[in-house]
Amino acid sequence: ARPTINFTVNAANTVSGQVLDDQGRPLPGVTIRLINTKLGTVTDVNGNYKLTLPDENAGGTLSFSFIGFLTQTIQIGNRTQINISLKTDTTRSLNEVVVVGYGTQRRATINSAIGTVGAKDINDKPVLNAAQALQGQSPNLIIQQSTLNPGSNPIVNIRGVATTGNNDPLLVIDGIVSQSINDINLINPNDIANVSVLKDAGSAAIYGSRGANGVILVTTKSGKLNQKAQVAYNGNFGLQQPDILVKKVNAADNAYYKNEALANSGLPPAYTPEQIQQIAAQGNGNWDINHLVYNAPQTSQNISVSGGGTTNTYFISAGYLNQFSNFIGNGGSGPRFGYQKYNLRLNESAIVGKFKLTGILEYTKSRNKTNTVGDNNIFADANRVPHNYNFYDANGNYLTNSFASQYNEYGVLLNGGANQADNDRIYGNLNGTLSITNWLSLTGVFGGTLQNNGNFFRRTQVNYIPSGVYGNDLTTFDNNSKSSSYNTQVYLGLNKSFGMHNVSATLGVSSELYSQRGFQLQKTLTDPVFGNATTGTLIDATNSYNCITVQANSRQSAFGRINYDFKSRYFIDFVFREDASSKFASGRRNGFFPSVNVGYLISDEDFFKPIKGTVNNLKLRASYSVVGNEQTAGNYTYLTTYFNYAGAYGYNNVIQGGAGTNLSNPFLTWERARTLNLGFDFGLFNNKLTGTFEYFNKVTSDIQQTPLDVPSIFGASPPTANVAKVGDRGWEFEITYTLKTGKVTQSFSPNIGNTYNKLLQLTGNTQQILYNQDVYQLIRRVGDPVTQYYGFQTNGFFQNAAEVASYPKPAGAVVGPGDLKFKDLNGDGKIDDNDKKVLGDPFPHYTFGFNYRIAVAGFDATIFLQGVGKRDEFLRGELVEPFHYNYGTTLYEHMTDYWTPNNPDARYPRLATIGSASNTNNWRTGSDLYKFNAAYVRLKNVNIGYTLPQKISRKAGMERVRLSLIGQNLLTFSKLNFYDPETTEFGNSVSPSSASNSARSYLLPKFYGAGLDITF
Amino acid sequence: CRKLDIAPTDSYSALNFWTADANVYNALNNNYSLIYNSDKYFTAEGLSDNAYSQTNTDAIQIASGNATAQQAKFANDWSFYYRTIKSCNQFLENVDKNTTLGAATIARLKAEVRFIRAYEHFNLTKWYGDVPLVDHDLSQDEAKSIGRTPKADVVKFILNELDAALPALPSKDQMPAAENGRINKGAVLALKARVLLYQGDRMADVISVCESLMNSTANGTYSLNPSYSNLFSDPATNKTNPETMLSLQYVPATTRTWSDFWDFAPKSVDGRVNSLAPSQELVNDYIMLNGKDITDPTSGYDENNPYINRDPRLTATIVYDKYNWNNGGGVNGKTKIIYIKPGTDPVKPGPDEYSPGRQNSSPTGYYWRKYFDPSALINYVSGNNLHLFRYAEILLDYAEAKNSLGQMDATVWSKTIGALRSRAGFTEPGALSYPGSANLTNIIRKERRIELALEGNRIDDIRRWKIAEIVLNGYVHGAKFSGDPATDNGYIRAQLRRFNAGRDYLWAIPNGDVSLDANLTQNPGY
Repeated sequence: ARPTINFTVNAANTVSGQVLDDQGRPLPGVTIRLINTKLGTVTDVNGNYKLTLPDENAGGTLSFSFIGFLTQTIQIGNRTQINISLKTDTTRSLNEVVVVGYGTQRRATINSAIGTVGAKDINDKPVLNAAQALQGQSPNLIIQQSTLNPGSNPIVNIRGVATTGNNDPLLVIDGIVSQSINDINLINPNDIANVSVLKDAGSAAIYGSRGANGVILVTTKSGKLNQKAQVAYNGNFGLQQPDILVKKVNAADNAYYKNEALANSGLPPAYTPEQIQQIAAQGNGNWDINHLVYNAPQTSQNISVSGGGTTNTYFISAGYLNQFSNFIGNGGSGPRFGYQKYNLRLNESAIVGKFKLTGILEYTKSRNKTNTVGDNNIFADANRVPHNYNFYDANGNYLTNSFASQYNEYGVLLNGGANQADNDRIYGNLNGTLSITNWLSLTGVFGGTLQNNGNFFRRTQVNYIPSGVYGNDLTTFDNNSKSSSYNTQVYLGLNKSFGMHNVSATLGVSSELYSQRGFQLQKTLTDPVFGNATTGTLIDATNSYNCITVQANSRQSAFGRINYDFKSRYFIDFVFREDASSKFASGRRNGFFPSVNVGYLISDEDFFKPIKGTVNNLKLRASYSVVGNEQTAGNYTYLTTYFNYAGAYGYNNVIQGGAGTNLSNPFLTWERARTLNLGFDFGLFNNKLTGTFEYFNKVTSDIQQTPLDVPSIFGASPPTANVAKVGDRGWEFEITYTLKTGKVTQSFSPNIGNTYNKLLQLTGNTQQILYNQDVYQLIRRVGDPVTQYYGFQTNGFFQNAAEVASYPKPAGAVVGPGDLKFKDLNGDGKIDDNDKKVLGDPFPHYTFGFNYRIAVAGFDATIFLQGVGKRDEFLRGELVEPFHYNYGTTLYEHMTDYWTPNNPDARYPRLATIGSASNTNNWRTGSDLYKFNAAYVRLKNVNIGYTLPQKISRKAGMERVRLSLIGQNLLTFSKLNFYDPETTEFGNSVSPSSASNSARSYLLPKFYGAGLDITF
Repeated sequence: CRKLDIAPTDSYSALNFWTADANVYNALNNNYSLIYNSDKYFTAEGLSDNAYSQTNTDAIQIASGNATAQQAKFANDWSFYYRTIKSCNQFLENVDKNTTLGAATIARLKAEVRFIRAYEHFNLTKWYGDVPLVDHDLSQDEAKSIGRTPKADVVKFILNELDAALPALPSKDQMPAAENGRINKGAVLALKARVLLYQGDRMADVISVCESLMNSTANGTYSLNPSYSNLFSDPATNKTNPETMLSLQYVPATTRTWSDFWDFAPKSVDGRVNSLAPSQELVNDYIMLNGKDITDPTSGYDENNPYINRDPRLTATIVYDKYNWNNGGGVNGKTKIIYIKPGTDPVKPGPDEYSPGRQNSSPTGYYWRKYFDPSALINYVSGNNLHLFRYAEILLDYAEAKNSLGQMDATVWSKTIGALRSRAGFTEPGALSYPGSANLTNIIRKERRIELALEGNRIDDIRRWKIAEIVLNGYVHGAKFSGDPATDNGYIRAQLRRFNAGRDYLWAIPNGDVSLDANLTQNPGY
């Protein structure tokens, strides 16, 4: 007989529990099915599930399945609680939990271009900031330096330049949007669990009006449930050796060359043969860069405690970084020049029934002590004095000479005062998630950052012999800027399967507020010891302000993401955001930014089975989207404002204030970037070889830019408007090959990417604009890369009088043998503006990285190479032009390949002095004479470690002990051999108003050190 | 949630700015601050045969004849003048929104601003010839299509503006001391005289403008200050004297200061680099106390002791070898002999000595003394005014105009050149009395050069006299320290200059603007 169905549920017929991953983390979205029935459920955000069983199925079998994990089946028996850990599938790339913005997704379900960098690629390096750690780790994540000075910010860029405005990606740390990409440098790299790089708009659309340049999502580490406390220490110590690539010629040669330059310019010699002999007899002095730098120590020390109980986790860490500057000295008092950073972090979570609460609190302090003259001046002054002079004499006096203007930078470094920058930042983040049902959750997030940046600058007096003085103005200033930013978010999460149909969704709203305010007080003739006011002290009114950097903006947004897949084989997502920003006038401030992404796991099809043994995994993806960029616009560009200022003019010796006008553009709105992304992921040979390929094509229109078609007759810089259009396309490819042979495990991970940008519209119908950048020009021309070097193409040298007479020359040029010939490109017999051409572009092409890891028994090694396959760089200044502009009075060994009748194929033209016709032709005319090939390959990191056998370390009470040797920037291969090819004069907008590169930036430090990791 | 309408908390909007009287004055002061600046003032000297700059890129290129249409100064000066003009036009188009200052005050403020706008147009047409005439606040579209107005029409506009401004302005005598430095009738007439003089064919008008100042006090009472050097160096006299007609106003120890002199002074008295060095050619034009040129064999000039018995303004203007630098105290208090001749300084190596190939000593063997401010702060941060128009110039304008019309005589001479020389400290009749018809044009031109040295007028004068191809061709020289007696008699060759008369009398219109404004044509030769 048929049994009576009892609808009363009793305890015996319920099974519940928690599903964790093999790292002990709760696993939401796991499908649980009662085998041979249609019954099933899905785990909630905390990995919890509860399933009611009909009587007849009590004691059946449950299957736990989740993409990327091996499906497990478990007999219920008479248990009412079953907690299990799912084991990951062997395919790394499919299992990875990827942070995607307001949530996470499994790698296998992602249909857009997201690069990830894990903790192991960040730790074990003596890097000073997270951006450095990311360099070369993900294709088309391009990290460049404008200076390597301790504490300086690298330039972070994703997929090249797609706007003439700001190309900075958006940075999101633990779900909270940062005000600046530079905040990435304040995080302790050791606290980072993983980094997601949202490269295409398909994934970045959830960040709407700020997603166009890509998004970097940083997630910090957390403890794990049911894990006993683990104490981890890691530290390293080493020396940074400044890489000096230039060498002055000796002073007697220098004098000889000077005479030659004067003679070639029709001027009398500066040195008699006797004087040159005297100089030669003096030998070399110590006035050079080598005497301003030393091998500076650098150390990083980190300790963390992490763990968790059944309902809570914790991760507590403290970090300390101390990087001394390679410059000698301390400015006269206190510690040496350098950068220190202190990080404290508390990441906690607690589960209270259906509610999970996560709290993050971080305090960061950084302090940077620098010199009072600026690195450029230090290098310029050290470079420009012939080598027979000394910075100091036997009695310790600081010397000047007739070549240096008045400064002796050695004395300035030792006694000229210092600037101390102190930045304090508190970051807090509260995140509460309520599991309403096992498929629906509600999350509320409140995050805030309070930041206080201050500088204390004090210049002190340094007396020189026989004459000259530095710092007798005894300037002291204090400035301070405070900012606060708050972000509130509420969103619903949904995750449900209907048979073969899987749906997940996130829908929410967000509000952001930002404000900043600062001041500065500057005085001169302050107390020489303390810098405070004393008799005779004056307030420097020019440089004292009550209100600087007064800024405020706010944003209100709604966002969503809907993912659907059928059979976990056919995927489609919709992602959108609606933003309203205070930066734009009402009516112009709302923007809607959608994306649609599709994916096809073709390797899952039946027809794929024959080759599935070789091609284990193949997924095809495509996305199309519209996202925005609002960074270039100022906060009040849409409003005409008038500002009063102090000290415009004077009447009868009484100072008067002034007032100026800020022109406005009420029509200003976002930039819009439309992006198509195509990609595929693959796994071959039992997933030993995995990889990803992406192609993208992006067009940014309505670019916020100063209109360039307005002549200066207008009388003011026209306000920012939506005027330009830029195309950016490219590709990236990365693979990882894992090889296990016996006890040896190796992995090879090369990646390479390339991007091309193209200016599609400049402003109105303007086809091109030229910018004078010191001695050469930059061009922005429709149809070409956004910023290019521009000028004459050289064509060797005039070798004899006959050539001088016959070959075309610039109008009025008086040249002779040894001067540059320029190509008459239009063949009209004269050299003029019509013969100028594009000489190169400053964009790095074919950026690549290569990680090699090997582990044998207790030994492991990581070798990391990184480089740029193609880049043009223009350099100028005293390291390029002999006797540079009457400012430098020197010649360097790499410049001695100049033209003489006996050296007709030289790199450089004949010597001549500034103001001579020859110098004007060769050095003031803007040609590819200044062009260098800045492609390079760099052995960026080497880390060789040895882990003690556990039986030994455990005797000492330690789980794991690893000793390592660390090297950084050990070798560089480049045709540009006198200057670090990694540095660039351009910021992230490749702005043509950037100052040209005078090759005076901080030297590349080579790091040699050792590290120790201990886990208790 | 905060609202999305966030107004700046540190600035005014168009609604509330002009209605506040203090803001109107602030906008006026902003226009004053944009009249001119110390860099333009002194760089002009480096463009002329009075000086050689070894560090100023623009001066090097332009003075040597190597400038191109890309020269930064051509573009920067152009946009400086048009920026000022825009600021003036914004003022003129908005100031009537103020209803509390009163019609007379508004009229006066407008007249001041119209003077400034006219002065900028004068500078533009002086350097570039035909230029866009901008008499209202241009829109972006207008700026893209405006053409060049013939120079004659620009000059006509300037003169009309000055005539319109004159009645609305007080005379110097009518102004309270607190307004010292504001534009008045005297300033308007001084500019008018200069504009007319520069045309070359308006000498009768020059005469009448000068006479309206010389023969009447209706436009203000002016006279020569008893001391020449105090006009530039004495902080009190510099600010308050009977001679100044308009100066760029500065205020010591404030935001409104200049420090160009840091790079003019000898190193031993706290100079930095040398950015502007007087030329031997300028030094040679200082006559002897007896009124004779140094080239006159009867002048008593001794090439081996060249600085004695010279025009006293030489010592007031130029620092030469063994100059007795005495400033009577002050922050930069030094009293010392300046040794410039190589190897003569008892201190070795001599910081001020001439040596080729160094940038912190003078490349000509001369330094500047004029405009030395004994009250300057460290780094020569000075609050002394820079004179734009002095009564001395009116006398020189008058002498030149009279002479060009053949009306020079002993009376005119004694009121002009004679008066200037007498004030300079000449006492011998050979210098003071009317020389008759002997080469008066040259004498008047030299007097103008010497009296106004380092005030920026020389380059204007050689361009309007059309003598640039003579004086800006060949080497500019320094003192007789070169050590090579075979070349130029041992005088330092500082720089080789060329002047292309077919091109260089006009600066290039900035090539950027030429490309953006279809109606803007380039000057010949660029």
